[in-house]
Amino acid sequence: MSKTNNLVFWSLYILAWLIFVGLSIEAGGLIVNFFFSVYKPEFVQNLYQKLDLTEMYKNSRLSFFGIYSFILSISILKACLFYIVIRLMHKMNLSKPFNTFVARQISQISYYTLLIGLLSYIARQLAKNLMHHGFATHNLNQFWADSQAFILMGAVLYIIATIFKKGVDIQNENDLTV
Amino acid sequence: MMAKRKMSLNELSEKVGLTLSNLSILKTGKAKAIRFSTLEAICNALDCQPGDILEYVNDKKA
Repeated sequence: MSKTNNLVFWSLYILAWLIFVGLSIEAGGLIVNFFFSVYKPEFVQNLYQKLDLTEMYKNSRLSFFGIYSFILSISILKACLFYIVIRLMHKMNLSKPFNTFVARQISQISYYTLLIGLLSYIARQLAKNLMHHGFATHNLNQFWADSQAFILMGAVLYIIATIFKKGVDIQNENDLTV
Repeated sequence: MMAKRKMSLNELSEKVGLTLSNLSILKTGKAKAIRFSTLEAICNALDCQPGDILEYVNDKKA
């Protein structure tokens, strides 16, 4: 592998780690926010992203728990997605990449990405619906603004994973050809 | 056939130019495919015909 490729690969590995740490902090902050929203609403203004859904909690607990479960699921899934990416980049051997482990990781990444995209899309529609019913949900758009991008990326990754699996089969057959 | 020619796996691998592990894959039946060049080299080394070292077995009957 050329030096440039190696440099790019390691830069992406470090970047993936940074993003994973950021997403983990976000997920942790949202979990803490959730508990404070339910038990100590007066401290919410000082919390992560000042996400205050106490009005929604007072008016409709079902809407609050519904929306917050989407927010938490999406943030946790994003952190898990980048954990799988880090694991793949850490264990992958670029001189012999076509093996079952890498194929499985790429498939998992595609499934997680599709799931994040679908959940984000459903959550966005739900938030729009709640807005029609008088709830203020404009501050939640940051959590599902990129739903279509995730769905597109998930579909592309799924195709790549399918092709990679075929590549693994061909590699295995080649290894057992004497 | 190797026993008939009194040839060990090491000797055969040297004559054919295959590694021991590849020959072992062939011998244990794990190989998925064999190149004609390899088959030719083995038949040359063992002085035999392909039919002497290959056998067809139906997968359903096996």
